[in-house]
Order: sequence, then structure tokens, then C-alpha cells
Amino acid sequence: MREIEQSWVGGSRPRFDTAGRVRGMIAHVGDQAVGAAAHVAVHRATQPHARIEAVHVDEALAMPGVYGVVTGADLYKQLGDRLLTGPAFADQPALAHEKVRYVGEPVAAVLAADLATARAATDAIWVDYEDLPPVYDLADALAGTAYVHDELRPSSVFGDLKHLRGVRDTNVNYTYNLRTGDAEAARDAGAHTVTGEFWAPPTHHVPIELPCTIAWVDSGRLEMLTTTQTPSYVRQTIADLLDLPLSRVRVTTRPLGGSFGAKMYDRLEPLAAALAWTAGRRVRVTATREEAFLLTTRHGAAVSSSLTADAEGNLVSSVADVRYDTGAYADVGPRITAKSGMVAPGPYRIANARVLSRCVYTNKPSAGPFRGFGVPQVTWSHESLIDELAHELGEDPYAFRRRHLLREGDEAPMGTRMHSADFVGCLDAVANAIGWFDPLDRGTGRIRRGRGVAVGVKAVLTPTIANAVLQLNQDNSATLLISTVDMGQGSDTIMAQIAADVLRMDSRRIHVVRADTDATPYDTITAGSRSTYHTGNAVRRVAEAMRDKLIGLAAERFGVPAEEVSLTPDGPRAGSHEVTVAELVHGHFGARGATLTTEANYTSSWTPYDKETGRSDKVTEHWFAGAVGARIAVDTATGRVRIEHLAVAGDVGRAINPTLVEQQLSGAAIMGIGHALFDQLVLDQGQLINGTLLDYQLPSIRDLPDQLTPIVVESPHDDGPFGAKGVGETGILGVAPAIANAVRDAVGVRLTRLPLTPESITMALEENQ
Amino acid sequence: MTDEPAPESSAHTRRTVLKSTAAAAAGTVVASHHTSVASAETAHTGGARTRVTLSVNGERHRIAIEPRVTLLDALRDRLGLTGTKKGCDRGECGACTVLADGERIKSCLTLAVMRQGAEITTVEGLTRGDDLHPVQEAFIRHDAFQCGACTPGQIMSAVACIDEGHAGSEAEIREWMSGNLCRCAAYQNIVAAVADAAEEGRR
Ligand code: FES
Ligand code: FES
Repeated sequence: MREIEQSWVGGSRPRFDTAGRVRGMIAHVGDQAVGAAAHVAVHRATQPHARIEAVHVDEALAMPGVYGVVTGADLYKQLGDRLLTGPAFADQPALAHEKVRYVGEPVAAVLAADLATARAATDAIWVDYEDLPPVYDLADALAGTAYVHDELRPSSVFGDLKHLRGVRDTNVNYTYNLRTGDAEAARDAGAHTVTGEFWAPPTHHVPIELPCTIAWVDSGRLEMLTTTQTPSYVRQTIADLLDLPLSRVRVTTRPLGGSFGAKMYDRLEPLAAALAWTAGRRVRVTATREEAFLLTTRHGAAVSSSLTADAEGNLVSSVADVRYDTGAYADVGPRITAKSGMVAPGPYRIANARVLSRCVYTNKPSAGPFRGFGVPQVTWSHESLIDELAHELGEDPYAFRRRHLLREGDEAPMGTRMHSADFVGCLDAVANAIGWFDPLDRGTGRIRRGRGVAVGVKAVLTPTIANAVLQLNQDNSATLLISTVDMGQGSDTIMAQIAADVLRMDSRRIHVVRADTDATPYDTITAGSRSTYHTGNAVRRVAEAMRDKLIGLAAERFGVPAEEVSLTPDGPRAGSHEVTVAELVHGHFGARGATLTTEANYTSSWTPYDKETGRSDKVTEHWFAGAVGARIAVDTATGRVRIEHLAVAGDVGRAINPTLVEQQLSGAAIMGIGHALFDQLVLDQGQLINGTLLDYQLPSIRDLPDQLTPIVVESPHDDGPFGAKGVGETGILGVAPAIANAVRDAVGVRLTRLPLTPESITMALEENQ
Repeated sequence: MTDEPAPESSAHTRRTVLKSTAAAAAGTVVASHHTSVASAETAHTGGARTRVTLSVNGERHRIAIEPRVTLLDALRDRLGLTGTKKGCDRGECGACTVLADGERIKSCLTLAVMRQGAEITTVEGLTRGDDLHPVQEAFIRHDAFQCGACTPGQIMSAVACIDEGHAGSEAEIREWMSGNLCRCAAYQNIVAAVADAAEEGRR
């Protein structure tokens, strides 16, 4: 393959700025020079649920180097109800106003000459509270005697959340119902039913880069540089907060040092903007690692569910009651509740399905988006159930799944058909990889081996919007303006590959501009694995428009019809006519260094789900399909699980850059190992007790399986750019159940609570004896 | 100033190279011109300051800081060397790993005042002109990163790991690189990169 072709779609060209990465030259937001600024530290609530009687700030104010102390009441005086922001409900204040709703909620902000002074001053603030009855967990919340919020106001920022209504006197801020057929009756009439009470705990993202926001006022505009995956959303939020036209808010980013959903929506940005605007000075807000644990979490989720087969072994009923603990603020919990609830039955042909999925407030740190958007929690339930059902029926869990998996064109329980979702291909690939069909040395003594598989399905966020602007420079290099944020997934690289493939140019000559809302166009969010498909389509279109423009100019120059002109890596050609792009553009403008500009949009569409039945003939633009296979060894004396081989397959439609796809699959799989075996936030009476990296266990290099096999499955999507879809989340969906199913295979115990700690395994073994 | 690049032949002679670099370093850079790049996480007010001389990447810097300032903050905020990252500030993630006289240390766990007289090498000091260090080259060859936030720490740790003779096998690399977290979990490729660079050093 020619080097230039290696830089197009399907080539594993190196990422952008690999040299910068290994030289520490990718300067993140926190590495930026900030100049004279007020450094901000936050005093945090000590009570889970309380009325704020008074905030005492005099001692802090008197400390040398302290410029000012701001409370929620101060901000409310200036901003009123606009202080409350959020992607679904406007329920979260930048600083607590009147009430605190979780231990660790920001109550007052100190502005000081440096961060150490600001942090010291927060300790000199104290608050008088009047305690309110706390809502510690889902059971408390659903009992409904105390409410985390009195009343709710929808924020109407996103198309898919247009239908939210204000609610009061409940802790349930959103309910999604799926009703297909009569699942309860089918269950009661069915021959074989398995049930389970599943729990997936809250977890934290822990990107290595800490969050940081720098905000300032320039010419009457609020500008900021911030660690965010959602620059367009942040611009809208800040415009709403400060009551400014969008043109007077500028949000810029740098490449993120990881995120996984942690740096989305309202994190440090509303506080930074409010402080910069009201104090009229440049502020820098960051968080310690310990504070970062409190900024957002993955939803803890309880799922009570059942799966029923008839006498012939056909799946006839799936019933699930799903409760997402969203903590004190809804964040994007309502979307997670709906989008995950609708796939709670799993990727199977099931005639009858009933899901009740609820998003529930508690007095805990807020839960928001995390790689998988709530789907891993329901995958934990459906992949454990179908495994158990196969065991009950005496069938092979791989073959049983395979028989029932949705195929191309099949309608899923929520009413939408499958396309470009090769579950069977993914399952076959991982089963083959881990040697499912080979004999297994199961062990006879203390060490016992087993194998497990799991399949996952997720819908891409729909509807969403992507835009792209392309400038072709006269020297045949290009500048691509999009608002997608590169946070390690490699979006800058693959977007350049897509544009370059269309324009037959070297993708290394395309610069992707970092999101800057003054320059780069609106893009819904960089999340939910949506960018490859959506922004990729906008980029493909913007490049096609440029190709057409170049061909038009060449046709004019050659004096031939446009249909006769083709674009080659050496420039436009028509018969014996030839010209380089540089000559063509130079000739057109009569100037070196001139630019041609095109723009394009891609917007996906859906049919909103019916509010009674949760059904839709097009609930999503496309599907993610993945499978995981695990071969493990359990030490029956200690309960420790050793992963001998983990295979993870994802249907990506078409891999734009196979190396980057494999990295996403393996990275997600290893993150999934953490969720399976040890990751969890532990809260005691609303107080986070393991919010440090010493106490919160993350996968280290020692947790790498003995063998890890990422497998790229390609079943092209008719409307994807070159057939492609995203892959950021696919790899994580089935990891925990695949490992738990392997534990079941190895030692015969079914665990329903994550993580699968050594203690939980040894306890289950003892009970089993 | 870094006008005295030490010849770089192979990774396993790193420690010796560092020492000779220190000996060859000439002149003292007064760091006042660096303060404009400071993100000022360190204190400018309050406590008494002390003059500290640090040798970093072959340059000597004299700065006035409070004794409580960590080496990490001194590097990032006072010397503008932001290649060394802060992932936790508590010795838990490894993002801040640098070499002190060739030994890997977590720069957030040591005070700048305690490292006077030591020759500090940060990721910025690994390259010689445009030539990347063999470990950096190996990280690129194996795509041993995604976001890059842990990468400087991984690379400094890998340089020392190889130098210590702890990169003889995959198992050994997994053991001796375990102080550096990578949340993107590029671990498989990190192991391959370290093994490859170690192999190259033995050739
Ligand atoms: S910043 Fe030093 S170990 Fe994390
Ligand atoms: S590359 Fe992102 S943390 Fe390691």
C-alpha cells in the first residue's frame, strides 16, 4: 500500500502528534499559562441533606492573599433561578443555595492569589446547618418520605429530552416504560423462568488528567478554556446562566487527558463562569483528585429481573425493574434511564417484554454519563439471566444465546429493527478466540477453571447534530473545523483520514482545529460513541463538497464537463489534462496561500418512543454490538479470579483506523475488568469513604489478562461514513457478566452483585457447600 | 542551558549519562523569566521563602519557593516544565515520575528543597535535539498510549525500569511498571513498548 493510502480510511496511520505525546508536549488545560488570575478553591458540604442557615466567611476573608469569598446566596442574588443548570433538569446550582444535597457539595468559593492560599482559606469557612432527613439509597428514595428536590424544572437543551415535565413530591425524576406484548402473563405461563436481583455499584471515571477551567471576561464576553467533552453544550449553559447571547460566550478546549464521561455537561464551568463574570476577573478552577471523585460518578443500579423460556426453549418473556441512583442531581440520568431501559431485555428475540426503568434522586454525589451510558448495568442483568437460563435448560450458554440473538432486520423488543449489528459474528469471534469448543482443563484442586461469554447492545444517542467546515489551503493542505474533542480516542486522526480519503490527499496534511466555539461549528457532544458516525458523516460531506468544488474549477480550467474530471492524489485529471491542486487554486485566486471553504451538516433523526409503551420504529440511528469471552481461573481458597484470556469483539461497521479501534476495545475491556472485580465507590451515610486512588482500586498493568484479544468485526452501516460506526463503549458492555458467567462455569456459584470481590466469591462457595 | 547534549547511545547506560550530564552542566539559569508560565498552584503569599537550586535536564535553576513546595509543583509552576503531569499529588498514580540521579521518583512525594544537588531528568530532558529517546520511539511504534496523560510518567518509569534490569520478561515488566496507572489502559502496548526498548538496549 502506498504511504498516502495508509493515511486514508482503513489505514493504521499513527495518531496525531505522537511525538508530542511522548515528549510531554501535548499541553492539557491545566498546563496552560494562566497569568494573573484568582485561584479558586471550594468549601464543601459536610451534611448529606440540610438547610443552610448561615455561611461564616469572615475569617477566610481576612486571610492574606484572599481576594474574596462567594456563596450560593451571593450568586443567587445576581443570577436568580438561572443559577440552576443541567442537561435534563435545571436542578444543580454552581454553589449550594438554601439547601445542600450531598456531602461534598460546593457551598462557598474562595478566590485567592494562589491555590494553596485558597485551599487554606476554605478551611476557615464554617456553615450552620439545619439537618433534613437524608435519603441515603434507592430504598429510602422510593419509600418517598423525604424528597431531595421539592420541584423540578426541565432545562430543554437537547432534542431527545424535549418531553420532560416538571415534577414534585417524588424522588423519581424520570420513568421509562417498555410494554411489548404481555410479559407478566407470558412469564407466569412459561415453562422455565430464572430471576435475579442484580446490583452494579457506583463507580468513578478517574481520567488521569484532573479537571480544570480558566474563565475570564474580554470585551464584555465570557471566555473560557476548559476540560470538556461538550463545548457546544457548555456554551449554551453559560449563555443561559449569564443571560448572554451565544455570540458573547466562547468555550475552548485542549486535548483531554482522558475523560470517559467525567468531563461533560456542568462540571467546573458554571462556577468558573459565574465567578469570572460577577467578580470581573480571570479565575482558574481546578479540583484535587479527592474532589474529582465528588464531581460525577457512574450510576449505581439495581435491577430486579426475570427471563422466561417456553417448553421448547424459546424466549417468551423478559421483565425488568431498573432503578438508577442518580444522586443529588439528575445530570443526564433521565436519558440514561430511557436509553438503557429500552435494551434491558438484551439483544434477543423475545416476544414479550416489560421494563420499568426509573431515575431516582438520593443525597449522594451526582451520577452522570460514564462509558456505556447505563447499559453495562442492564447488560449485567440480562447476560447473567440468559446464562442461568441456559444452565437450567441444560444447554450450552454460547449456543443458547446464538439461537436467540437478533439478526439483521429483526425487530428488537422496543420495536426498532437491527442493521449493521452483527451480534452473532461478535459472539462467534470471542468464543473461537477463547477456545470455547476445545476441551478445558478445569482443575481438580484449589484452582478451578471456567469460561463465560456475554453479548451487549447499545443504541447511539439520537437525534444529534454534527457540523464541519473545511478550508483547503492553496498548497494542498487543509484545516478542518469541528467541535469533536480528542481525549485519546483518536478522533482528530480518524476525521482527517475520512476527509483525506475523499480528497485523495495525505491525511497528515490536514490539521483538525481544537474545539473553539468562536470558530468550530456546533456539535451535540463528543460522547456516547457518536462522533465517528455523526461527525464522521459531516466530515465526509464537507470533503465531498470540497471535491466537487475542485472538480468544478478543474473542469472550467480544462474546458471539459465536470463528469470527465477525476481527483487523483496528484491532482485533478481529465484525459490528457492535468493540474495539481496547488496550481488550480493558485490559478483560481491568483494568489498563494488562498483558501477554499466548504461546510456541511449531518443530523440524525428518530421516532420518539411512545410514552406508554416505550416503543419506536426508529429509536436510534444505529446500534452498537459487542461480545466478550473470558477464560478464568478461580482460586477457591482465596476467591481470587485470574483472567487467563479475555477476548472482546465489537462490530464497528468499518474500521477507519484498525489500530485505534483495537485500542478502544482493549481499553474498554480493561476498564470493564475493574468494574467486574474491584471498582466501586463506597458510601457510608452519604459520605464517600474511598475517594482516593489508594483506597479506590483501578486496573493496573498487573490486572492485564494473561492474554487479551481485541477483535474488529465489520458489518458496514448503509449510512455510516465509509460504513463506519463508533466503538468507544462497545468493549465494556459485556465484560462483567462474561467474567461472572465464567465464575459460574468454574465453581458453580451465581453472583449477582458487582464487584466480584474475593470475599464475595469465597462466601458464595461456603454457602454452596 | 541545554547546550551540552550528552551523547545518547543506548538506554541501559542512562544512569551514567545522567551523571556526566550533571557534571558537564555549565552556568546557572535564574528562573525569574519562567514565572510568567506559572499556573501558580504553589503559594506566592504567606510563608517564608527559601532559595533553592535545582539541576533539571542539565540546566541549573535558582528559584525562591516555600519549603513546602513539592518538586512536582516547582517543575510545573516555576520552571514551566509541564511535561511532568499531576494526576493525584499523593504518590498514587505515577503521572509525575521523574528521574533523580537516574532513579525514578514520584515528584509529588518529594520537596524541591530536598532535591538540591540531585540531577533531575524530566520527559523534556530525554530528547537530544530532535532525536527521541529509544523508549519514546518504542512507545510510538507500539501506540502505547491513548490520551497521553500518563505517558510522560510511564516513559520515565520505563527508562528507569530498563536501566534497573527489571525489563527482562513480560512478567517482570508488569511487576515493575505497576506504579504507573493508565486509565486509558494502553497496558498491553506499554508492556510491548518497554520490552522492545529493553531488547533494543541489549543489542
Ligand atoms: S501526581 Fe505524583 S503520583 Fe500522582
Ligand atoms: S494514555 Fe490516557 S491515561 Fe494512559
